[in-house]
Amino acid sequence: MNRRVLILLLTVAGAAVTSVYGADPLPSAESILDRYVQVTGGKQAYEKRKSEIAHGMVEFPALGIKGTMTRYAAQPDKYYYTVDIAAIGKMETGVTGSIAWENSALLGPRVKSGVERAEAIREGNMNATVNWRKLYPKVESQGIETIDGEDCFKVVMTPAEGQPIIGYYQKKSGLQVKLTTVASTQMGDIPVEVIASDYKNFGGILEPAMVIQKAGPQEFTMTLERVEVNPAIPPETFTLPAEVRALVDKTEAR
Amino acid sequence: MLSRRWSLLFIAALSTFGQARTQLDLDSFEKVWTTIRDKHWQTKPGGLDWQAIHDEYRPQVEMAASHDEARAVIQEMLGRLKQSHFAIIPAVVYTVLDDEGPTGSGTTGIDARVLGGHAVVTSVDPDSPAAQQGVRPGWEIERTHGIDLEPLIKQGRSNPAIHELQLTRAVLARLSGPIGGKLDAVFLDGSGKTVNLSLDLTAPRGMSSAFGNLPEQHVWFENKRMGQTAYVRFNLFLDLPHVMASFQQTVENCRTCDGLIIDLRGNPGGIGGMAMGMAGFLVDKSNQRLGTMYLRDSTLNFVVNPRAKVFSGPVAVLMDGCSASTSEIFAGGLKDLGRARVFGTPTAAAALPSAFERLPNGDGFQYAVANYISEGGQPLEGLGVTPDVVVELTRSALLAGHDAVVDAAIDWIRKKP
Repeated sequence: MNRRVLILLLTVAGAAVTSVYGADPLPSAESILDRYVQVTGGKQAYEKRKSEIAHGMVEFPALGIKGTMTRYAAQPDKYYYTVDIAAIGKMETGVTGSIAWENSALLGPRVKSGVERAEAIREGNMNATVNWRKLYPKVESQGIETIDGEDCFKVVMTPAEGQPIIGYYQKKSGLQVKLTTVASTQMGDIPVEVIASDYKNFGGILEPAMVIQKAGPQEFTMTLERVEVNPAIPPETFTLPAEVRALVDKTEAR
Repeated sequence: MLSRRWSLLFIAALSTFGQARTQLDLDSFEKVWTTIRDKHWQTKPGGLDWQAIHDEYRPQVEMAASHDEARAVIQEMLGRLKQSHFAIIPAVVYTVLDDEGPTGSGTTGIDARVLGGHAVVTSVDPDSPAAQQGVRPGWEIERTHGIDLEPLIKQGRSNPAIHELQLTRAVLARLSGPIGGKLDAVFLDGSGKTVNLSLDLTAPRGMSSAFGNLPEQHVWFENKRMGQTAYVRFNLFLDLPHVMASFQQTVENCRTCDGLIIDLRGNPGGIGGMAMGMAGFLVDKSNQRLGTMYLRDSTLNFVVNPRAKVFSGPVAVLMDGCSASTSEIFAGGLKDLGRARVFGTPTAAAALPSAFERLPNGDGFQYAVANYISEGGQPLEGLGVTPDVVVELTRSALLAGHDAVVDAAIDWIRKKP
């Protein structure tokens, strides 16, 4: 490919992107979400990723509590996430087959149901970013809001079951910088606000290295430190912990 | 001329003092008003137009002729909320409670309560310096570090702003001191004889435990069998991994017990979630909750997750005026669910994340940031948990070697079919 062709291609690509936002000041939600896939690495980069182990830190600044987090994921929907905080102990959550569960030293094991289960299963979809069409039957572009001095497109994504998620995508970069929703938890519906920043390339995909999440009265930060791309994850990582298994068995026995 | 100049200076000084006093009271008013505006769980605190409240009361604070008048105005403003745990604590109260004598975490192993207007030893840790020197439950504590306790207790009991929890803490503070030091104390023993002792102050019982920004605290957990009845007691809902594991082990070892006694007397609370976690070992029915906490932007249900193995026998929870916060959420919720019977005396009524702050004028300000309603529909804040069976400790029973509250719980368990 000669240089002229490359420039032409880039120009066409640029025009394609520009044309998305050029004529209409409010582009379609579909184009905003597709652009997010594109600017964070492209569909191919996501599809090449069959499994990952993400490592990071979690901190509750107001409480002065810090811990580590590790997220294991494998195509298409295997998911196990653990947070370890010395003063609280281990907190685990995961999706094993059709069972969405969590387990902690604080609250013990439990199996999620209803909307909470549906949300967990969506969360467990490894390539949720690319698969937004499957996960959110309805998406709507609802205007422009300024966040930290930058114009952002506001997109409302409504799943088949559960509360809508509102994503804010920078007009300039296409990156998602904020997300709000109402999370269904066993303690009740809790308003959640997530601020994403410091996007970094982790194995070919841009991901926010810093996430600040406000959930009800709590605020915590998650710092993504490294991502192992396509590692071999032992299958037992995704099996139900013994405490959750015992609970499932007890429920089935009744 | 000289005298006139002095008098002018004096008047100027007085005038400055007056302005300073007014400004401090105004700053205090603004802090109280702003805190409620920003932190109250209702966006319209108490259903009131809070800005209008500001405009009504600020001129009154400006016009107040004295600090006491300014405080009365602020108190009146808080009264308009018609909600508990919003209070101004006069600065003088702090002079009563803060003067704790020698500071330090050293302990003699004595636990005490104010019974009938006297500081009385309610328990003595085994092998502690107090136990080694023969101190017994039921002894009165008359004097520590060379100072009589009676005036403190008298002032504390006569001031409605001082709750039992605060007064007990003030008394216990006078039984402590630097680790490695001595506590010179004067007791009245069971026969009415005065006993002078110099007790070693040693490290507090239990393991030091850190939880975020909280100062490190010693946490202990004890369990024992009283015949076929299991008994557990722990001093704080902290050191989560250790305390939860110990509680789980106690329950799992209790399959053949005729009952379980959970003694939360003196337990001031800690991590709220532990109440839910522990209840999961005692409640077998799904979708049960201990209560509900109402915050400004959300409502949190204190849900119980039944464990795979649950203790199904009778449960007695022991409480007193020093049982607060998570202890109250736990006991109140289990009582409302009909899963536990509560014995002892009414609790501290401090279930909420309510905070105490000092105001610019020296007064204290207590405010709650959430409302907590126990499952039975009663707010715990300001009301606390009323025991099913009110049993008070008495000096005579303690001297006779009886803990009347434990005895009542065992008696109930033994009579259960």
